[in-house]
Amino acid sequence: MTILETRDLVYSYPDGTIALDNVSVRIDMGKKIAFVGRNGSGKSTLFLTLNGTLAPKKGEVLFHGEPVKYDAKSLRELRKNVGIVFQNSDDQLFAPSIYQDVAFGPTNLGYSREKVNSVVQSTLDYVGLNPLKKKPPHHLSGGQKKRVAIAGIVAMEPEVIILDEPLSNLDPVGADEVMDLLNELNYFGKTIIISTHDVDLAYRWADHVFIMTDHQMIGEGTPEDIFRNDELLQRANLRKPQILEVHEELRRRSLVKANGCPKDIPGLVRTLKEPELMWVKVSPDVKVGDSINLGLLHGEFALNYPMEAVNGKVLHIHEDCMAIVELSRHYVRAGSIMIYDTDHHDTDFLQLFIANGDVDTVGAMGKRSKLIAERDNIRLDITSGVIDRSILNALCGQRCLIITHGGMIYHAFERISHYIEESGINIHVDIINENGDISTLATACTGQMPCAGSSEEHSA
Amino acid sequence: MTYILDDYALNSPLREKNNWLKIVITAFGIVVGVSSNSPVTPFVIALCMGIATIHFSKVPARFYLKILAAPAGFVLVSVVIIAFFSGTGGEVFGFDLWGHRLGVSTGGLNMALVVLARTISGMSCLFFLSLSTPMIELFSVLKATRFPDSFIEIAMMMYRYIFVFMEVAIGIKYAQTVRLGYKDFRTSFRSIGMLATSLFIRAWEQGEKLYVSMNSRCYDGRLILLEENRPVKRSEVALTSAYFILVLVVFYSTRNILLI
Repeated sequence: MTILETRDLVYSYPDGTIALDNVSVRIDMGKKIAFVGRNGSGKSTLFLTLNGTLAPKKGEVLFHGEPVKYDAKSLRELRKNVGIVFQNSDDQLFAPSIYQDVAFGPTNLGYSREKVNSVVQSTLDYVGLNPLKKKPPHHLSGGQKKRVAIAGIVAMEPEVIILDEPLSNLDPVGADEVMDLLNELNYFGKTIIISTHDVDLAYRWADHVFIMTDHQMIGEGTPEDIFRNDELLQRANLRKPQILEVHEELRRRSLVKANGCPKDIPGLVRTLKEPELMWVKVSPDVKVGDSINLGLLHGEFALNYPMEAVNGKVLHIHEDCMAIVELSRHYVRAGSIMIYDTDHHDTDFLQLFIANGDVDTVGAMGKRSKLIAERDNIRLDITSGVIDRSILNALCGQRCLIITHGGMIYHAFERISHYIEESGINIHVDIINENGDISTLATACTGQMPCAGSSEEHSA
Repeated sequence: MTYILDDYALNSPLREKNNWLKIVITAFGIVVGVSSNSPVTPFVIALCMGIATIHFSKVPARFYLKILAAPAGFVLVSVVIIAFFSGTGGEVFGFDLWGHRLGVSTGGLNMALVVLARTISGMSCLFFLSLSTPMIELFSVLKATRFPDSFIEIAMMMYRYIFVFMEVAIGIKYAQTVRLGYKDFRTSFRSIGMLATSLFIRAWEQGEKLYVSMNSRCYDGRLILLEENRPVKRSEVALTSAYFILVLVVFYSTRNILLI
């Protein structure tokens, strides 16, 4: 369902420079959208037309299918539902304290004092900034300022959140925290639109990508399609995402499987090919192209891990039932990923679990959970790219614990089950401190795992 | 990072106390200090306020003395002039300078001491307030005193953007310094001019951006204030009353006492 739409939008600045040239976009509800283009390609101007700050010269903007009107009342309604987080947080944080700044939007919506207070409190809790609420913005770091800016918008409960270059000037950990927050918001149904010139970010994060250059929209589509289109990227003066570039180089050297378009490092690892041939005696009814199960190998036959399940694809059958087989090896005991929900936090339980539970790596996602871990003196091995690195570690047989909360649990679950589904490698996922609704979700997610693929490989 | 008065106030333990109590203490000190004829009362007030600021508000003593030194320097100069050129009465000491008689009379000396004491006490009262009450808290006091809303709002934004521009100004100054922008008097003058120009333009642009960002959040002329109900504790009332009584007793008993 389309939530925001522009039709043949034309906008030029008072001095005549064209800022938008016939731009038409359709933005679907609940999606993660990235507008990619170099600086000055018109992204910010487009965003300002989407919430009615700039009125286009020609064309129209539609919100929920209705053309936007530019009278005060309609604009108010539009701006309540389409929030913009500006690139420079200092443009947005003007109140002398954090609390006042987050309260600014809700106050303008005419909420009562009590309601403003409760909304602000819960939003500050949500972004993990409650302890700082009485500080002035100039005492905050860049990442904290950005989270306050986002909180100021979230407190108005908009349907669409637009962020102009959300990661500019942030350090990697701060950037990760902001992205975690955006993923969580998206999980709860918000449509998130960002502009960026970071192709890696857009490729990895977005559901749908728009490419802008010279104030025009020159391409849109799924990130896989867009970023493999060399001609389009060249026109937009963008480079390829690094992961795709690595994948391409590996493919040229035929080290990876031919098709596939990895989005992250686990994806890339999955596409790696292990070309290994072996003479095997097969039964007479096996034909070329068949898959055969060679069972478990260990000792000197297992190349990478203590125990490997080996499958083979028959390439050629010789006389005497001797066949040339291409081997694929899988580690038998893939590790597991355990998720701990800090919304139901119990210090003793968690510490006991880490001490006794044979946990190899601990990661925390989201500011609130990181703070809890820090407070309880839990050593964190992973603080950024937590899901990806936990998957990688689990693939190497480790038991990984992810400490997180709220919508990020759902997000983590989804990512891991998606990986399981695509790779057919079964990683055990579990929430260790379950309560009612989450355990049902856990079974729902794990239920989606394709057991067929994994069970034949893991005959052990 | 440069530490300014407001930063101490933000971290002060007294920040969490009732704002009105602090204002009453400050106002009381100033009024009594100024109306005293003897230098003793203001000195007592200055001493109490100094102890309160350093002990309760946890302001480093070095910093406190440093900021007190600035007004003290001005006062000392004026005190010398007052001592020599005003007042009547017997001469305490004097000398001849190129045939002119310069002398300090008892009246002049007393006057000088009173001025010195009043100034120091007034300053220490004000420092007590400004080192324990950040601007953020004072805005809600202003609101309660029925200041016009638009005035408070403009004041709040000015407060916020002082720091933004200070950061920009420090950044520009640094950028100029590393390229030898302040190597001599002439270049310093030119650099400071450029700094002011670009700061002015920045301020202008910031105003436009601020307008857009406020409108994007449906601004309709209302900012909320950080108001918190902080009841005055009994111990605080007791300490404050003890201080008031002490000062009043000193005020009464020294009303006619002059040092000389």
